[in-house]
Amino acid sequence: MKLPTYRHALKGTVASLCLMAAGALPAYAQDYSEAPMLAEKVAAGELPPVEDRLPTDPMVMEVLDEVGEYGGTLRRAILGGGDQHNMVRLISNENLLRWNADWSAVVPNIAESYDVSEDATTFTFKLREGIRWSDGAPFTADDIMFWYEVFGDERLTPSKHPMYVGDSGPVEVTKIDDTTVEFKFGEANGLFLQNMAYGFGYYVVNYPRHYLEQFHTDYNDDIQALIDAEPAASDWVQLFNLRAGPMHTPAFWQNANRPTLHPWHIEEGYGTTQRMVASRNPYYWKVDESGQQLPYIDQVTWEQVEDPEAILLRAFNGEIDYMARHIGRPANLAGLTDNAERGQYGFYGVGDIGASQAALMFNLNNQDPALNEIVNTFEFRQAMSHAIDRQEIIDLVYLGVGAPVQTSPHPSAPFYNEDWSKQHTAFDPDAANALLDGMGLDQRDDDGFRLRPDGERLTFVFLVADVFGFQYPDVMELVSEYAANVGVDIQVRASDRSRLQEVASAAEHDGYIWNCPGGLSDAYTNPDCYLPRGQAVYWAPEWAAWGVDPATGTEPPENIKALFTAYEGVTGSADPAVQLAALEDLIEQSTSQLLTIGLMQSDGAFGIARNNLRNYPDPMPIAGQLWTPAPYTAQFFFEGGDNLD
Amino acid sequence: MLLFLTRRLIYMIPTLFLVSVVTFIVIQLPPGDYLDTLAAELNELGGLDDGTRQALEDQYGLGQPMYVQYFKWMRGILFYGDFGISFERNVPVNDLIWDRLGWTFAISVLTLLFIWMTALPIGIYSAVKKYSAGDYAATFFGFVGLAVPNFLLALVMMYVAFKYFGQSVGGLVSPEFIGEPWTVEKIIDLLKHIWMPIVVVGTSGAAALIRIMRANLLDELYRPYVVTARAKGMSEFQLLMRYPVRVALNPFISTIGWILPSLVSGEIIVAVVMNLPTTGPLLLRALLVQDMYLAGSLIFLVSILTVIGTLVSDLLLAWIDPRIRYQ
Repeated sequence: MKLPTYRHALKGTVASLCLMAAGALPAYAQDYSEAPMLAEKVAAGELPPVEDRLPTDPMVMEVLDEVGEYGGTLRRAILGGGDQHNMVRLISNENLLRWNADWSAVVPNIAESYDVSEDATTFTFKLREGIRWSDGAPFTADDIMFWYEVFGDERLTPSKHPMYVGDSGPVEVTKIDDTTVEFKFGEANGLFLQNMAYGFGYYVVNYPRHYLEQFHTDYNDDIQALIDAEPAASDWVQLFNLRAGPMHTPAFWQNANRPTLHPWHIEEGYGTTQRMVASRNPYYWKVDESGQQLPYIDQVTWEQVEDPEAILLRAFNGEIDYMARHIGRPANLAGLTDNAERGQYGFYGVGDIGASQAALMFNLNNQDPALNEIVNTFEFRQAMSHAIDRQEIIDLVYLGVGAPVQTSPHPSAPFYNEDWSKQHTAFDPDAANALLDGMGLDQRDDDGFRLRPDGERLTFVFLVADVFGFQYPDVMELVSEYAANVGVDIQVRASDRSRLQEVASAAEHDGYIWNCPGGLSDAYTNPDCYLPRGQAVYWAPEWAAWGVDPATGTEPPENIKALFTAYEGVTGSADPAVQLAALEDLIEQSTSQLLTIGLMQSDGAFGIARNNLRNYPDPMPIAGQLWTPAPYTAQFFFEGGDNLD
Repeated sequence: MLLFLTRRLIYMIPTLFLVSVVTFIVIQLPPGDYLDTLAAELNELGGLDDGTRQALEDQYGLGQPMYVQYFKWMRGILFYGDFGISFERNVPVNDLIWDRLGWTFAISVLTLLFIWMTALPIGIYSAVKKYSAGDYAATFFGFVGLAVPNFLLALVMMYVAFKYFGQSVGGLVSPEFIGEPWTVEKIIDLLKHIWMPIVVVGTSGAAALIRIMRANLLDELYRPYVVTARAKGMSEFQLLMRYPVRVALNPFISTIGWILPSLVSGEIIVAVVMNLPTTGPLLLRALLVQDMYLAGSLIFLVSILTVIGTLVSDLLLAWIDPRIRYQ
């Protein structure tokens, strides 16, 4: 299978953006049409006519390939628990702004337009006039203000999502008029627009005031009756959290009554039934260029299964219409190819491209002083990097798919640099041995392992969790052998994910293996492997804590402080050129220090789509915070108006 | 008999109490709790801070001492039939388990019937025609059945059904019937699916019983009472059924007690692989994320099934084999 590069897709989108800019897209607000199932309801008097359901000036969504036709059910499978992102990423990422289909630019979405102040502190969003929730109630600035109220309420939101909090405190939101809202930070927030287009931008537009008020004690005097009726809640806060649960938690998907702005709304919730169903939102606010109300597809269903292998069999049988999640792994490619004819599907590329698919992360804040000194010596990390045969790992564990590179941007990123990727990746045990000897680690014990200065064996205990299809335990076994060849004892300890993260976040580990974000545009907002930041990457938890609040954690050395300074250059400006220069400076500084040891980068994964499905992005970009394909699914359609038999 | 039954029923109370305590302790044994799992998942998305954690701890009552949590749980079950709330799904455990327990029970009973229907005749045949070609064949397949892990057999059968019969495999009904009302088509579709788990789960049980039946019957076949009966001119078939087989049936009955729970809990992997709507996958998931009340309730219910199963098999044994005394 050939995975197309991003540049092809880029051309198409740039072309369509230019068309939009030139005002060439028709905006015949008078002639809107709708799905037959909705037209029936209008005729029966159950729904107002389509003109009254759409905003005065609906968003015209550019179709990726062609204008579609109505009908069909998009069928998927979902695991029985903890798989809510299966829904989040497919049908629900409607934010004020969104990323275009090739992840190269931020474009308006729910907001009709936006405005940024010179100093990048104030962001004003103009909402579309007449936009409605899925139950027909109007969506206005008041709904955003209701979110802001919940966000500011210590009882309901004791912890605030970091993207809405600046150094000097949380964002201040002001309603200018019914369709205009202003977000103001105490200092420059150069990444706010990008963040609003990413996953967690959804918060502000997912709190329908008219519905949620009844679960809030300030607005409902008889709330006790509702609490009594809900066995899972014993006070109003619990009740509110159940009904207004954030979208990335299961609670959101269990509540079929909550109105949304998404193309489909839930009919049968997640978790208790064997099948989840989402039906077309009759008030969805996007149309295609010929005035047809979106989405094209009538219904989305998820069959609940317990085992990813069962999804594979479903796919072979043609019972999955569009899916990459759980099945798009190199190990499944042969089976999927063999059955492609029977299941009547084809493949599309998934740009799941991180800075590293598997990065070896020594804990640079080791609590053992001797080990801490060793891992903080650059030559040691350089030696370990040379000791590893990356190509063999790729061949054995990843079936030959991937490139042996450091933790660094992907070749398709605008800030790619070959030197960053290739440095210290040569498999050279002799060089590794020489470096380690040079550090004074030249004494060995009877088993051939090196001794630390205090005479003990040089041993690192690495944690490994069997997530993402068992790749990490396999990789670590190989790494442990390579390390032993140069006299370093790496012990591998399997653990479940929660335990691993508990230990690692407390800096009680010697090292672990995980993936790194930041291969493409997400390097701006998610550079967690380039500098110690955030809560997802634990290669220097103490420095990361210091970075959030200098009163906590451990003060890092100058070379690490310089990384924080470099990143301030990215966040402190809204000028893309300034941001890019600061980002390149950050990555240059970081990669040259080899803070994490990247093993390989994948060329992206793949997904399957039924042969008559149209308008899906290929390749589809995806990242931890880029919740795709949800921003584009509304314009997917089945040629012929139905699923293939 | 009535006295025996009463006594056994009274014995069940302390047993179930102990079972519930042990269940609760076992669930709590692994380090951490549901919130750790939640925190690990949320970490990638921004994390769970101390304030939220405290709020959730209060909500789930996780901060309290273990005996308080146990007492609350037990009180709910005994007085209100309330098994608590599933942490992960935010719904009462009751809403989750009864449907699945029903399917589990249905599959278990059908599997038990399947085991008996195959093991009984084959076992008798094997014993009577000792060392014949048929006996060797039955023995061979019996050992294969015992040796092959159930989940592997499930995978192979699913593959064969998929590859050569073009069937939609996994689950108990085809996806298009899920959530639809029961119709003739849906029942036919169910029958197309349900035989597979029954055969898979039943195979190893049947294989074991074939061997036991054969051995037991061989012990009985050459007893003097059989020889006497034969000497009196009784027909061979009637003779076989009336005396030695009846005695040799003992293990069939005495295994009911453990066959029920083993079908419920022992076939988790099969249920996961075959995507069955039974309690197994639910229990596995609950244990993985430390969803305490859901896992506890399932284990507790399975334990109750074991106790009831044992009672039933004791009663049947006493009825079928007069040599077993009530004392």
